Amino acid sequence: MQFRLEKRAEPSRLMLYLAPILALAITAVLGALLFSVMGYDGIGAVREIFLTPLTNPYKWQDLAVKASPLVIIAVGLSVAYRANVWNIGAEGQYIVGAIAGTGVALLTYNLSGPWILPLMLVAGMAGGAAYAAIPAFLRTRFRVNEILTTLMLTYASVNLLNYLVFGPWKSPTAMGQPQTVLFSLDQSLPYVVPGTIIHLGTPIAIAVALIVWLVMSRSVFGFQIRTVGLAPHAARYGGFSADRTVWMALLLSGALAGLAGILEAAGPFGRLVPQFPTNYGFTAIIVAFLGRLHPIGCLFAGIILAITFVGGEVAQTTMRLPFAAVGVFQAMVLFLLLAADFFVRHRFRAVEPKTSARPA
Amino acid sequence: MSIDAPVRLALKGITKRFPGVLANDDVSFSVRAGEIHALLGENGAGKSTLVKMIYGIMQPDAGTIAWNGEIVTIANPKAARRLGIGMVFQHFSLFDAMTVLENIALGLDAKLTQRELEAKVRAVMSQYGLVLDPHRVVATLSVGERQRIEIVRALLLDPQLLIMDEPTSVLTPQEVEALFAVLRRLSAEGRSILYISHKLHEIRALCHTATILRGGKLVATLDPRVETPRSMAEKMIGASLKDISKDPNRRFGKERLLVSGLTTLAEDEFGVAIDSASFAVRAGEILGIAGVAGNGQNALLDALSGEILGTHGDAVRLDGTPIGLMGTTARRRLGLCAVPEERNGHAAVGDFSLSDNSVLTARDRLKMVLAGLINSGAAKTYTGKVIAQFAVKALGPHSTAGSLSGGNLQKYIMGREILQNPSVLVVSQPTWGVDAGAAAAIHQALVDLAAAGSAIVVISQDLDELLALSDTLLVINGGRLSKPLDVGAVSIEEIGLLMGGVHGTEDEVHIAPGGQIAVPA
Repeated sequence: MQFRLEKRAEPSRLMLYLAPILALAITAVLGALLFSVMGYDGIGAVREIFLTPLTNPYKWQDLAVKASPLVIIAVGLSVAYRANVWNIGAEGQYIVGAIAGTGVALLTYNLSGPWILPLMLVAGMAGGAAYAAIPAFLRTRFRVNEILTTLMLTYASVNLLNYLVFGPWKSPTAMGQPQTVLFSLDQSLPYVVPGTIIHLGTPIAIAVALIVWLVMSRSVFGFQIRTVGLAPHAARYGGFSADRTVWMALLLSGALAGLAGILEAAGPFGRLVPQFPTNYGFTAIIVAFLGRLHPIGCLFAGIILAITFVGGEVAQTTMRLPFAAVGVFQAMVLFLLLAADFFVRHRFRAVEPKTSARPA
Repeated sequence: MSIDAPVRLALKGITKRFPGVLANDDVSFSVRAGEIHALLGENGAGKSTLVKMIYGIMQPDAGTIAWNGEIVTIANPKAARRLGIGMVFQHFSLFDAMTVLENIALGLDAKLTQRELEAKVRAVMSQYGLVLDPHRVVATLSVGERQRIEIVRALLLDPQLLIMDEPTSVLTPQEVEALFAVLRRLSAEGRSILYISHKLHEIRALCHTATILRGGKLVATLDPRVETPRSMAEKMIGASLKDISKDPNRRFGKERLLVSGLTTLAEDEFGVAIDSASFAVRAGEILGIAGVAGNGQNALLDALSGEILGTHGDAVRLDGTPIGLMGTTARRRLGLCAVPEERNGHAAVGDFSLSDNSVLTARDRLKMVLAGLINSGAAKTYTGKVIAQFAVKALGPHSTAGSLSGGNLQKYIMGREILQNPSVLVVSQPTWGVDAGAAAAIHQALVDLAAAGSAIVVISQDLDELLALSDTLLVINGGRLSKPLDVGAVSIEEIGLLMGGVHGTEDEVHIAPGGQIAVPA
């Protein structure tokens, strides 16, 4: 009996849903092996990473707080990626969104009112969108690849952040610490579940996923994004401008990354500090793909990634697992997911070995 | 060829299976020495798979191939060539930047010096009357001349069997005649030819025997000279054919589409630009545009549909409204619909459902969008109507476009545009790769649409189709259009000259902008 690899006539719907589960299962097995080889209790470590965040109710709030920015950014990225627009600089748009929102906070520091926080959120979205507008302009005007520009602008944004918190925005009362003033109550996210650290960002993340899902599946905008991504030539025939789609994809993904940025600044951080960039923008790329570029998928994928984050922290403290090992584990999730995806469109089929040896 | 000539190639029980399809099912036939044997069938009937096995590109799952009476396994094309089997592919494998001679040298298994090769090439060319300068760069040659390179390359190996895959689909009528003369000479020398085509007139004129395949099975082996094109076509599709019924007393109304001085830029360095095209199409009229592939047909369709814009609005007028600077959506709204040549990826999105593909072009005219949201119910209803009226074989509006066969997808696309009731319809290659039954249905739908008062432009490389369908004919060559020709009065020879008799024949013919034929001394 021999096996031959062949393309499926139709993509397998079963594998479409099974592949992520398969990938997670293989990650668990390989992770356990890896940690064992490193001299740790492998199965225990995997259990700490995958299960403890779920079984320990005290960890649920951490999951919500970690998942929210990931979901918001990933939903935006999933729209861009569907249009074949490869925005990998969400981290930069996230930082600039936080900077723009913080700018509003600093200007309104001596004011009060319920309008301040919404204004900060709008400024955050505008900041992220404006920062994504740079690669959009370069791509549509000069055909500069957005993969390069979005990534490079991320590093520029980190320097902008450092300049501001070390320079003009440094709090006068911080005794030389590079940080802005602490946001006032009107400038901070309210907690939505009493007694926990779950803030307004979580319901916003859920709402963003639902709204974008509706828009992508029902609206002409979503249709345009999907058409341009799948068949650019057909999109032109259908009357959709490729350049306009690039603009829309980048502005939307930038705005959502910026929203996540200001939510994070006005929530867990409460101010801007040099440690603000925590790679949510990059992790969200994994979330977007794990969620199959579908807004609701991103919601679940964001929770899964949050589990590995929270669980990774648990394993670091309880099992003294090194930080890098947790990173390897998370990378394995993405790698195996992409590998498992292969079987959505391909399969192994048993074939009879050739027996006939004819004279030539 | 005589009846008692020895059998050169005999296939017995050849079967080949691909995932989800039986490409060849127990096919048996034989080719004698000196015989020109046609392999006939619709797209997907299994012709290409069969010859790929004869040429060693694929291996049969079951069955035997006998060569000169001996059963053989043809492991690869090199083995096939060693046996004396040559093949000329439909799509040439030539390097544009190299000369004819360099290209021939690259394809040879044997190593020859430049001088030996040139002598051999020249000998083969003079022996068969193939006119070709061995030192010309391929990029400067016409399609017919490129084909001659492939033929020379195959003949250098002194083949006993030459396989030709759809050789005439890119040739002008004059080039076809020249090719046939060569093939007849080869046959007279005792060489066999396996000739794959779906052009029935040509097969009647050229071939001694025809084997007809349908759905992977052999339907008949017959003498095409005593058959009619119609009888063969009916065997190919396994059903009787309908004629196009046109009202002989039809009259044309006012000019609906008026093109004057339409000029475009080439989209890339290999693209062809439209050079001041001018013509008019009246209500009820079908205007055909003939031409050899790659002479600006795609650019013309894109410029008319609005995918690429001309230089000024007046260049294209629809019922008097200048639309030259409008995009596809605006043009559709005003009544101009178009069907490009490439079905998958241009006229339709393969990964989308048919319903979504209806949204792609019919969303405005059929009010499938309300406040930015798509009314999927309306799209589904419309798609169901298209499927029913155009007899599209699909599971339903939810089927993906990519899962349909080429002919069915084309029927769906044509139906999607025709049922929008456009005032002007521009279609490119409406029946390319479509089976004869579906082609007849599409032709009738176009005639009926015109009879209802629409103006129709049909761009096609199939001259038979254009002559049957159109009232007026234009020829496109190098992005330029000829003057209008009356289909009833014009001769095939004249059309052939216009189509680009340019290359390879004795007279250089160009179409000047505005339609005059210029024949330089």
